[in-house]
Amino acid sequence: MSEELLIIQGLEKNFDGIRALADFSCSLSQGQILGLIGPNGAGKTTLLNIISGFTTPERGNITFKGMSIVRMSPHKIARAGIARTFQDLRLIRQLSVLENVLLSFENQPGEHLANLFFRWKQSKKQEAAIRNEALILLAEAGLAEKANDQAENLSYGQQKLLSLVCCLAAKGDLVLLDEPVAGIAPEMIDNILGIIRDLPQKKKSVILIEHNLDVVMQICDRIIFMDAGTKICEGTPGEVRNDAKVIEAYTG
Amino acid sequence: MLTQLILNAFISASIYILIAVSFTIIFRVVRFFHFTHAVIFTAGAYFVFFLRMELSFPFLIAVPTAIFASALLGCLIELTIYRSLRAKSTPPLVMLLVSLGIYIVLQNIISIAFGDDTKIIRSNLITEGFNLFGARITFIQGLTICTTIILLLLLVLFLKITRTGKAIRAVSSDPELAAISGIESSRIIIWAFAIGSAICGLAGILLSFDVGMTPTMGLTALMMGLVVAIIGGLANVSGIVLGGLLLGLAQQLGIWKFGAEWQDAIAFGILLGFLIVKPQGILGKNTKKATI
Ligand SMILES: Nc1ncnc2c1ncn2[C@@H]1O[C@H](COP(=O)(O)OP(=O)(O)O)[C@@H](O)[C@H]1O
Ligand SMILES: [Mg+2]
Repeated sequence: MSEELLIIQGLEKNFDGIRALADFSCSLSQGQILGLIGPNGAGKTTLLNIISGFTTPERGNITFKGMSIVRMSPHKIARAGIARTFQDLRLIRQLSVLENVLLSFENQPGEHLANLFFRWKQSKKQEAAIRNEALILLAEAGLAEKANDQAENLSYGQQKLLSLVCCLAAKGDLVLLDEPVAGIAPEMIDNILGIIRDLPQKKKSVILIEHNLDVVMQICDRIIFMDAGTKICEGTPGEVRNDAKVIEAYTG
Repeated sequence: MLTQLILNAFISASIYILIAVSFTIIFRVVRFFHFTHAVIFTAGAYFVFFLRMELSFPFLIAVPTAIFASALLGCLIELTIYRSLRAKSTPPLVMLLVSLGIYIVLQNIISIAFGDDTKIIRSNLITEGFNLFGARITFIQGLTICTTIILLLLLVLFLKITRTGKAIRAVSSDPELAAISGIESSRIIIWAFAIGSAICGLAGILLSFDVGMTPTMGLTALMMGLVVAIIGGLANVSGIVLGGLLLGLAQQLGIWKFGAEWQDAIAFGILLGFLIVKPQGILGKNTKKATI
């Protein structure tokens, strides 16, 4: 039995009387890929926003690696090791592809300390190492030739891929992905799914929001189907696929 | 005549550009109208006046100290007032009103301390002039132009290559995305206030050397700086530089053809023209709208 990485207990969140999350609980172990499915407005994005610190819930608690993170500011949560992408595509458009990736590397804990304590030359060496690592990540994603292009000049699919790479560059243990393949051409989808599938080997756990059931079934260890802010059912892909409520929601 | 006109345009453009750039750096990270920026401009000039004329410090000490004091003043306003309001998610309009309030208080303090009459810093350095391509330029006007060029180059370099510079650009373009990269926006905002206020204070000092100072000088200056910032699309340095040169030239032409009283009308005429025809700024692409 592996240690639980993330424990979510009794989250509740309302927006002007609209219930986005109602008594939502779940947990995630090290190295797992958890899929979140459910209709639009089910509260999936709200859940990610709460985990990453952008939204504060009215009730409930979140423990990450044994530490309560529910009222921490987003940059602290990021430094604690939770990375995410946004449902709407977001990059720093004026920065180059490489600079976007470096941004996540450079602002991790330790990097500043190193700057203070190490001599300039060592700091330069470290800079080169970080750059190298970023280039390797880009190469793995097939974006190596684009490294020096402005982020805004990439195609939509490449930009989404880049936002995933940035998310991986932050050396987190937990990666939150909000519809990473929505609106992307099929050949690019396989590329992105391949990267996600390999994350557990890199000691990263994943929460993946995705509409395409086939995709979720393919790569998730566990799936939660939610609607109107509550968990309707949870289980392995096989269990969820055969759940009456899921079948009804996706075929009815 | 034409050389003199162009030279004069460069001189006023320099001041406009410094204000516009410094305003934009702060505006982009805080996303409200930091009206108090106007009084930072004024304060820079009066800091030098106080240090040089009343405490008799040499210029080489008075000017850097005044720039530092301007930066400190900007940071103090952020730390003591803006920061706590931001934590309560105060809307931008309320922030503008607060900022306006701080402006009025600080301007009044300057007024009470130094009086409303025009103060002049006397020095041979300042009045001495020389000829350049048949046009007359004083030492301080030449210094204003050179300082502006050097500062802009340094600033662009800083924003491009340093870690903090890149973080400032990241927070400017998407604070949430910056946060998930682990960037602490409150730290970046302090940087923006320090840099922006230092540049603004310096602009005030340069202008006061040329034409003297009054407690309300910052208000007119900020208005012109804003016109330039908006022409520049409240974004990149190059747009602001173009905007500054455009406004400087148009005003000098106007003064030559119609008289000095037309300066403000020309500035706001150009602003209106841009807001109607190209609201995203001189270099802006048509997809993004400049908002204020
Ligand atoms: N910032 C917000 N302000 C107001 N209502 C919101 C906000 N964010 C989400 N909601 C509402 O909360 C509900 C859940 O939204 P969301 O979490 O985005 O759903 P999903 O990602 O599952 O499609 C929806 O009814 C949505 O309208
Ligand atoms: Mg969503």
